[in-house]
Amino acid sequence: MTSHDENLQKTPARTWLKPGHLALTLGAVVVVLLPLLFTSRYTTNLLILGASWGIATLGLVVVLGYAGQISLAQAAFYGIGAYAVALGTTRWDVNWWLALILGLAGAAIAGAVLGTTTLKLGGHYLAMVTICFQIIYTLINTNWIAVTGGPDGISNIKRPPFLVPLNTAQRYAWFALATLCLVGGLVWWLRDTPLGRAMRAIRENELAAEALGVDTRRVKVIAFVLSAVVAALGGAIYASGYLYISPDSFNFDHAVAFLAMALVGGSESPLGAILGATLLTFLPEWLRDLKRIYLVVYGCAIILVIVFMPEGLWGYVRLAGRRFARKLTLPSAVRTLQVGGRGTAGEEILRVEQLAKHFGGVKAVDGVNFSVRRGEVHALIGPNGSGKTTIINLLSGLYVPTTGYMAFLGRDIVGLRPSRIAHIGMARSFQNLRLFRELTVWENVLVGAQREESREAETRQRALAAIEFAGLSDKVQEICRNLPYGHQKLVELARALAGEPDLLLLDEPGAGLNQTEKQELVRLLRRLNEMGLTILIVEHDMSLVSQVASTATVLNFGKKIAEGTAAEVLRHPAVVEAYLGNREVALGV
Amino acid sequence: MFEVRDVHVAYGAVTALRGISLEVREGEIVCLLGANGAGKSTTLRTVSGLLHPLQGEIVLDGQPIHRLPAEAIARRGISHVPEGRRVFPGLTVRENLVLGASNRRPFRRDDVEADMARMFKIFPDLERLKHALGWTLSGGQQQMLAIARGLMARPKILLMDEPSLGLAPILVQEVFRVVKEINNAGTTILLVEQNATMALAVSHRGYVMETGRIVLQGTAKDLLRNPQVRDAYLGGGKAN
Repeated sequence: MTSHDENLQKTPARTWLKPGHLALTLGAVVVVLLPLLFTSRYTTNLLILGASWGIATLGLVVVLGYAGQISLAQAAFYGIGAYAVALGTTRWDVNWWLALILGLAGAAIAGAVLGTTTLKLGGHYLAMVTICFQIIYTLINTNWIAVTGGPDGISNIKRPPFLVPLNTAQRYAWFALATLCLVGGLVWWLRDTPLGRAMRAIRENELAAEALGVDTRRVKVIAFVLSAVVAALGGAIYASGYLYISPDSFNFDHAVAFLAMALVGGSESPLGAILGATLLTFLPEWLRDLKRIYLVVYGCAIILVIVFMPEGLWGYVRLAGRRFARKLTLPSAVRTLQVGGRGTAGEEILRVEQLAKHFGGVKAVDGVNFSVRRGEVHALIGPNGSGKTTIINLLSGLYVPTTGYMAFLGRDIVGLRPSRIAHIGMARSFQNLRLFRELTVWENVLVGAQREESREAETRQRALAAIEFAGLSDKVQEICRNLPYGHQKLVELARALAGEPDLLLLDEPGAGLNQTEKQELVRLLRRLNEMGLTILIVEHDMSLVSQVASTATVLNFGKKIAEGTAAEVLRHPAVVEAYLGNREVALGV
Repeated sequence: MFEVRDVHVAYGAVTALRGISLEVREGEIVCLLGANGAGKSTTLRTVSGLLHPLQGEIVLDGQPIHRLPAEAIARRGISHVPEGRRVFPGLTVRENLVLGASNRRPFRRDDVEADMARMFKIFPDLERLKHALGWTLSGGQQQMLAIARGLMARPKILLMDEPSLGLAPILVQEVFRVVKEINNAGTTILLVEQNATMALAVSHRGYVMETGRIVLQGTAKDLLRNPQVRDAYLGGGKAN
């Protein structure tokens, strides 16, 4: 349940009990109480430390939890913030807040550099690069003595000027905890903004996100930048809390500790991150009595949590609280789906000339020409391996053609990124479903509906219209992974339609459906076509093709072997020989 | 040959099979029909030991097998060709095939080579591609490889999940020809298939499933004539 979803409810009953408000109230109470309950110098310092680590971990929620990009350089950004405040208030003698802003800017630049260099990396490669980044940072931090003070660190750091002087540890603990709550709230709010949704879509399926119009490169860099800025803020809070810093507090060990906090708490939730940071701040202190074996126990505790609670402590809490979750009710759509664009029927909207794609020596597509006119359903058929899916991938920008020309709505689309092509008005489905599996049906369709230039309200209207068209209104809250195959196919269709495209590319929409389901698909496609949508369909079920398609292009070995109306093509001798085999059996007549 | 008796299966809180019973006799091709989500694939996964029933039993040649792990069931001669052609993408066609024979005791190189030659006879495309990596194969070739890999286990029973999925019409006909051929050579087959017309054309008997239950059973001929089955699963071009 999220803040935005609640805006859609017609009757927001008992407003004061919304989870968001509850969390805010609870947060405020905790912030006020904690420094009053724990008054010893030692525990107050631990509170400050926990708050600053919690903030750094919240940065990981953005980059790891939302965007799914592992980062083991979080301690470096934390250090950048800490050193900015330390140097600013001691050596350069500038205002604390100005020093903070410099630190955040520095972290943002470093985050952008790291994000940009890792764009094409994932998994263990990404982990390696971020580790290298972290190690380089530590080396500079330790060895560039003229600036950083080297291993001796910097002392006499000042506290920020504030409404009240933050001259006691207790007051500063309040300040640190309030900052933690504020950042936690912002990260929580980010989750359901278009940006947060785009990040989570990338985490679930980067290729599909890009094909739906999410500029994955930009969003990933933003995720790294935000995460770096948040970590730097944590570092600044830490530096002014302890008044002394040294490079030991910002090394690789701490980067791993931040990752552990995020994983133990639950990396997808800000509350989980705070929970994880709290636990891993206080646990070692509680275990100190165990003396020598305390690190062993500490390590084992982390392993146990990660093995038995893969979604972290917060995942456990959420599972327990599942029965309190309320049903999301969406209003009915105020307008119908507007697909197909506004051009005149019959005009050429897609033109492909001498298109070729070679993979090494294999000519998957070898000089194909065809065009698609507005308002038609154009079938692309041919034997397996004849290049149909490759053409869909070329058109949607996932592959760059070896040679050839492609124009969509009069614009040259060769070399454009998939997200740009999606924005011009082309949507697609995938042969093997590529849903955002851990997101709800509603969120999946919202990602398909969102466009940079449009407001959230318009995005919602488009998504609602698509949901209603596909008949998924009663399933909006379901996690896609849990839906049966047939419904997942419908979600993919609704998601593609939500962008209100001019042209829809469908890659084997009928595969895995039985005859009844195929007839429903036929009806759906015919309705879409009547609404003005142009469709390019790849499909092996010839009975389905002959029911929906008006024209067809037949491929074999990457070359066009026939084209014409669907009926003509299915009688063509070369098509029968290469593709249909026994024509009667193939057409089901 | 083997029998499924009153089997219940659930994925967490979701019940997938609500007490199904079916029987496959030696030398038969039996097909399972039904809508998406009816429980056909779940039935296959339960027989091959990837899932375990909450209740009920599965008996192979008089011995219960439903508590055995999947690899033990595979050793007893049940081979599963899963949906979606799960070939090993980073291994060559040859390596994929050899892996299919890995349950053999004793493992003799000559036997495996001889069987592989037989596979290449049934699927000539694969011979040409034997050194190609799995992921470079087209959809149809991957499907052929998945079937061939299943056969390399020299199974007594072959479980096939949607062998025609995503294949061109000419290849669909080819796949069913192969299914018939394998059966003629002595392998019993339990087949899940959306293309009901083709499936019933090669099968001896069939079962129709709906929401985790078996609602209809009979010989393939009877099912082909049954008006309910015609409407729901054989429609196609003729329905309009």
